[in-house]
Amino acid sequence: MSDAAAENVVLRVDDLQKSFGGLTATDHATFDVERGTITGLIGPNGAGKSTIFNLISGFYEPDGGTVEVNGTDVTGMEPYEVAERGLVRTFQTPRKLEGMTVREAMLVGPRNQPGESFVRLFTSPGAVAESESENLADAERILAEFEIDHLAEQPATDISGGQMKLVELARAMLAEPEVLLLDEPVAGVNPTLAKKLKSQIRRLNDRGTTFLLIEHDMEFVMDLADPIVVLDQGTVLTEGTPHSVRNDQRVIDAYLGGGA
Amino acid sequence: MSALDAPKAALAGLTRPEGWVLGVSVAFVLFLLAALLTGALGPTYFLFLVGLAGMYALLSFGLNAQWGFTGLINFSVAAFFGIGAYGSALMTASGSPIAGGFNPLVGLVVALVVAFALALLIGIPTLRLRADYLAIASLGLAEVVRLIVLNERWLTNGSAGVRGIPGFFEGWPVLSTFPEAMPGLRLEVVPGSPILLETAFWQASLNVLLVLGFAGATFFVLRRAHRSPWGRVLRTIRSDEDLARALGKNTYSFKMQSFVLGSLIMALAGVFYTHLNLYVGPGDLDPITTFYAWVAVILGGSGSNRGALFGGIVIVTIREGTRFLNDVALPIDPAPLRLLLIGVVIVAVMRYRPQGILPPQRELIWPSAVDGGGAPETPDSGVRERKGGGGDE
Repeated sequence: MSDAAAENVVLRVDDLQKSFGGLTATDHATFDVERGTITGLIGPNGAGKSTIFNLISGFYEPDGGTVEVNGTDVTGMEPYEVAERGLVRTFQTPRKLEGMTVREAMLVGPRNQPGESFVRLFTSPGAVAESESENLADAERILAEFEIDHLAEQPATDISGGQMKLVELARAMLAEPEVLLLDEPVAGVNPTLAKKLKSQIRRLNDRGTTFLLIEHDMEFVMDLADPIVVLDQGTVLTEGTPHSVRNDQRVIDAYLGGGA
Repeated sequence: MSALDAPKAALAGLTRPEGWVLGVSVAFVLFLLAALLTGALGPTYFLFLVGLAGMYALLSFGLNAQWGFTGLINFSVAAFFGIGAYGSALMTASGSPIAGGFNPLVGLVVALVVAFALALLIGIPTLRLRADYLAIASLGLAEVVRLIVLNERWLTNGSAGVRGIPGFFEGWPVLSTFPEAMPGLRLEVVPGSPILLETAFWQASLNVLLVLGFAGATFFVLRRAHRSPWGRVLRTIRSDEDLARALGKNTYSFKMQSFVLGSLIMALAGVFYTHLNLYVGPGDLDPITTFYAWVAVILGGSGSNRGALFGGIVIVTIREGTRFLNDVALPIDPAPLRLLLIGVVIVAVMRYRPQGILPPQRELIWPSAVDGGGAPETPDSGVRERKGGGGDE
C-alpha cells in the first residue's frame, strides 16, 4: 500500500485472531478505517463485533495479528495507552457513575488533566484550577451543543438510557479522540433521541472525528455509515457501500442463518 | 472560614442529616463537659479518649481513601496499623529487641517506609486483577503480619510486646519537658468535686495535640484530593473501572496511589497509638481493628471524609462508653454487649440510611474552578453548591 493511502488510514486491523477456549471469536479479521469516515461494523449476533472492539481498544489481548492506530502498533497495549493515541470507545450498556452529577461525570472525559496527578494538587494548585475551569467550560459547551445542558445537575444515574448514551458520546468527545468506537449507540434508545444521536455523530464527523460503530439497527447504520464492514463468524465477510452490502447475497445468507 | 462569618446562613444551609449530626454532637459535647466538671470523667482519661477518637478517625480516613474513594476492599487495616505501631515502637523503645532508642521522628519515618513497601508488595500482584483478589490477599496479609509479630521474637519480643516506648515529643526542645514543667492545677467549678490537672494531664494534652495534627493534616490532604480531578478518577474507578480505562486513565496506577495513601494513613494511626499507649503487643493487630474501621466508614458514609471522622468518633464512643455500662448494673460483661451494639447500629444504618449518615456530596469539582475559592459546602454561593450539599434525596 502506498504511503499516501497508509496516511489516510487511522485504524488498521490486520489478521486479528482471538479465541476463548475452543471458540474462535475473531478469525483473521482484516479491515481499515479511513480518516474522516463513519465506518459501520455489522454482522449477525455472535459474529464477533464486540470482541473486535475489545481487541482494538486493548481490553482483550489478541492471540495474533496487529492493530495500528495512526500508524502506531498498539497491539497488546493497555486501554489507557490506546486511548492516549487517540482511540476512545464507548460501551454497549451505558456506564453509570454513582454519586456524580452529569456535569461531574463529563469532567472525567478530558485526558491528561494536571489535577489527575496527586502531587500536583499540592505543588501547583493554580495549574489544576486553571485546567479545571477550562474543562468545566468545555463540558458546559459540549452539553449545550448536545442540547442536554438541562441535565447538568441531574444525578448521572437518574437519566434515561437514551440520555445516558448522549452523555457518553459527549464525554467521549471531551477526550478529543481521533477515532471514536461506538458500541450500539442507539440500542434501546427512543426514535427521537436516536435521531438526535445520528445528527450529533454527523456533526462531529464533519468536524473531523472518525467513527467506527457497531449497530444492529440497519436503517440507522445504512443511513449513517459508509463504508460498512460485515462480520460473520469472526471474519470479515465483505465491505463496501451500504448499497453494495445490502445487495450482497452472502450478507443476506449470513443474516438469515444460512451462511458459511 | 465563611461559616464563622455567617453562622446563621451556614446553619440554614445544613441538610437534615447534617443538622442532626450537629445537634447530637453538641449534646454529646455538653454531656462530656458536664461529666468533666462534676468529676465523673477524669480529665486525663478524657484526653486519652480524644486521642483514641483521633486514632480511629485516622484509621477510617485511611480506609475511606481506599474503599470510599476507589472501592478497594482492604481487610488488613489492622496489619498496616500494626506496622505503624511496631515500626515506631521498635525504633524508639528502650525495650526494643533491635535498634531502639532513636528519636520518635525516625520511628515515624521508618514506620511509614515499611508500610509503603508492604502496600506496594501486596498491591503489585493484586491491583491488576479483579477487586476480589485484593480482598482475599489482604485478609491473608493481616494474619501473616500478626503471626510474624507474634512469633519472630528476635524482632518483636513476641507475645511479651514492646515496652519502654517514649512519648512522641521525647527529645524535642520545650515539648519534651513540657508536662513536668507545667504546674499542677486544681480547679473547682462544681463545689465539692475538684479537678486535678497534673503531669499526666499535660502529657495527655500533648498527645491530643499530636493526633489533632496528624488527623487535621490528613483531613486537609484527603479533602483536597477527594474533590480534585484525581479523586474524580478514583470515583470513576469505583463505579466502573472499564469506563475509566476506556477514557485513557491508567487505573492500575490510580488504584495503587489510593491504596498506598490509605495504608500510610493507617500506619500513621499506628505510630500515634504507640506513643499514646506506650506499649504495643501482638493483640493490637487483632482483626477487630479492621472491623471497627470498616464499621466507621460504612456508618459515616463511604467516600465521605467527614463521614469517616464521624464514624471514628462513634466507634470510640461505643467502645469506651460500654465500659460504663458495668456501673449501670447489667449482669453481663460489656465486651460482648459492645459488639452487639455495633451490630444493631450497623443494621439500623443499613436499613434506614444505606448510604451512611454523612454521605459524600454529589458534585465535587475543584472549588476555585467553580467560583474562585468558595468551598462547596457553604450553601450561600450558588445553586450548584446547594445541589451538591447533601445528596441524600
